Amino acid sequence: MTTTIQFPVSRIEGHAKVIVDISNGQVRSARFLAQEYRGFEQFLQGMPADQMPVIVPRICGVCSTSHHIAAVEALEDAYGVTPPDIAKKIRHLMMVGQLVQNQATSLFFFTMPDKLQATSIFGADENLGKETLGSISKKAMAIRKIGTELISLAGGQFIHPVKAVVGGVVSGIDRDAAAVMQEKIKKALPLACNLFDEYWKLTEKLAETVGHWEGDDPFYYMVAVDKHDPTLPVDYITMQRSDNSETVTFSAADYAEHLQFHRVQDSFSSKTSFNDLPIRANSLARMNLIENPGTPIATGYLERFRIEFGTPAHQILLFDLCRGIELINGLERANSLLSENLQEGEMNVPVTPRDGIGYGLVEAPRGPLIHNFHIKDGLIEKAGFVIPTVHNNFAIEQALTTMAKRYVSEDRIDLGLDKAMGWVVRAFDPCIACATH
Amino acid sequence: MRFAVLQLTGCAGCEVSLLNAGDELNLANLAYMPLLVSAHDVPEDVDVLLVTGGIRTDEDLLKLRDSAGKVKKIIAVGTCAISGGVAGLGDRHDIREHFLAQANKGRVPRMLPKCSPIDTEVEVDNYLPGCPPVPELYIKLLNDPQSLKTTSIVCKECGRKKPKEIRPDTLTAGIHKDIDPELCLVKQGQLCVGTSTRNGCGAICPRAGFPCVGCRGPSNNLIEKDADAWFESLISIFRRMTDIDPVLISEALKSPHFALFLFQFSDYADTELEKRPKEKVL
Ligand code: SF4
Ligand code: SF4
Repeated sequence: MTTTIQFPVSRIEGHAKVIVDISNGQVRSARFLAQEYRGFEQFLQGMPADQMPVIVPRICGVCSTSHHIAAVEALEDAYGVTPPDIAKKIRHLMMVGQLVQNQATSLFFFTMPDKLQATSIFGADENLGKETLGSISKKAMAIRKIGTELISLAGGQFIHPVKAVVGGVVSGIDRDAAAVMQEKIKKALPLACNLFDEYWKLTEKLAETVGHWEGDDPFYYMVAVDKHDPTLPVDYITMQRSDNSETVTFSAADYAEHLQFHRVQDSFSSKTSFNDLPIRANSLARMNLIENPGTPIATGYLERFRIEFGTPAHQILLFDLCRGIELINGLERANSLLSENLQEGEMNVPVTPRDGIGYGLVEAPRGPLIHNFHIKDGLIEKAGFVIPTVHNNFAIEQALTTMAKRYVSEDRIDLGLDKAMGWVVRAFDPCIACATH
Repeated sequence: MRFAVLQLTGCAGCEVSLLNAGDELNLANLAYMPLLVSAHDVPEDVDVLLVTGGIRTDEDLLKLRDSAGKVKKIIAVGTCAISGGVAGLGDRHDIREHFLAQANKGRVPRMLPKCSPIDTEVEVDNYLPGCPPVPELYIKLLNDPQSLKTTSIVCKECGRKKPKEIRPDTLTAGIHKDIDPELCLVKQGQLCVGTSTRNGCGAICPRAGFPCVGCRGPSNNLIEKDADAWFESLISIFRRMTDIDPVLISEALKSPHFALFLFQFSDYADTELEKRPKEKVL
């Protein structure tokens, strides 16, 4: 007998569902399907290239900063422009703001409720005292806000930033405003550490009940960050096999030669593989592949993480802990960036638009993101978006299948399956609006 | 007051902005919002339903109809829900068929022939435009709706100076630069539409040096008129403030690919923009 069970997934960005196929008491497969679509690659055709930095952030309101900057860099690549250093720093700060915002949201709003057996972090739930949740969500809100304030400060608009333009940024950051922001960060940092410690304990507890699960099949980790500063993107992608036996690097322009894209009938998102194996991008990939986060408190956390779980560590639930390390790293990094001169000097260089092909690569919170534009007569002839969640899709399904098997036996399906599917998906923090665009 | 957020096809920016307002809102009253709360449907006891995103798929339509029957009040939030926004760009004449053919291939929610604003299907009590609306607007909306009544134009919140003697004669094409942070961007030759866009956003973009792209939609003076009236008004403002050739301004504004269309006229493919009574627009 064959049964198919469907679960809509909440507390992630966008519309998706998990489908588990069971036949004769055995899990055949578990799949993760994206259910929305807007068609960016199609409707951008014919639009003026210079409008891209305003339009493409709307691919996703969660990671819009990545799209904003990837688009600007793709145009700069096409036009042969190098922005001044100060503009690069301001863009870097924007990305750090987004990292803080994203990791805090994923950690405290999306996955912490799972660890507390609640449906949300706002205390609408009966199982837990309203006070407990109320105080957690207050702290979580304050930490997360630092991220959006950083995006506003560096990017102008708070969700769909506007300040990165081809050639640089429109304006700098006022020294006084930077100092005010630093004060806020200094206050938020102990709060963030405190809540993350709490989170770490809860994760260990959850691991006691569900065990450490990772699956033994090989896969590749994928990152595009500096080995000593995981908030800083580099201009090449690194793929490392999970058993450390192979490392490959390639540039954004060569992505199509290295990655295989698979289309499916029942999802608006495709899936990527590398050497026909699944890929894992996102926090765990970064924390496994870097040497150190480059800031003191985060380095302490990563050392503790490596002692407890080894390097590389492959357990799925560890994505969440790595997000916490990155949250702390982001706060520390933002603080040091804000000490630099971001106010005086050349903010942008002159630009002469020209036709051609450009690639922009940034490390979004979910992994390496590439924008590719073909420009003709100043208009977009072809636009391509290579999305981190798409890289993770096979790995998500692999992990879902491994997990589902624990809840399904010959004679029964454990009712916890629904929740467990949610845990797995959220560990990868997928973004459906991005994945389908 | 219990409230819920129904997310149709959009980018989640509107939801994230609501979350930004979180510390001023009582989110324990949030009954349903898939981004933040695990609940499969809008429950029966909801007072206010905020709807984000446009009606792009058959599932969007079903969910909207189903939820609308359960709530006392519906508020369309963000450009996508109000005029299609980014979700509606697939309706552009030259790509629509290609888009639909491409999208309706597999066993996935079906794309409707057109992406529609939510008031084509359900009665909407209020509109909160913006892409996304800023957190302050959500706070007012949910805590003290009366305080939202009066709006003006973005310039009021921007505060850049518009000296009479400065009259640029060229439109700075595409490339944005803020030469003087005190000086109005129109006076710098940029295509800022803050002069006829409704305020409430705090003028965050022009204050940071980037021209307003009109995401909050037309101001009260223009909102009950058609798109042409908005264009005419902008052109005459540029004539008053600059020496730029009005033909150039008109072309730049009406270029169907200018970002403005993303925010307000994305349904220009087939129909006229619906006129909303200004009392309902917040
Ligand atoms: S209105 Fe703007 S912010 Fe809101 S969902 Fe649409 S694109 Fe996103
Ligand atoms: S920059 Fe734009 S919003 Fe500001 S005053 Fe000038 S026209 Fe108005």
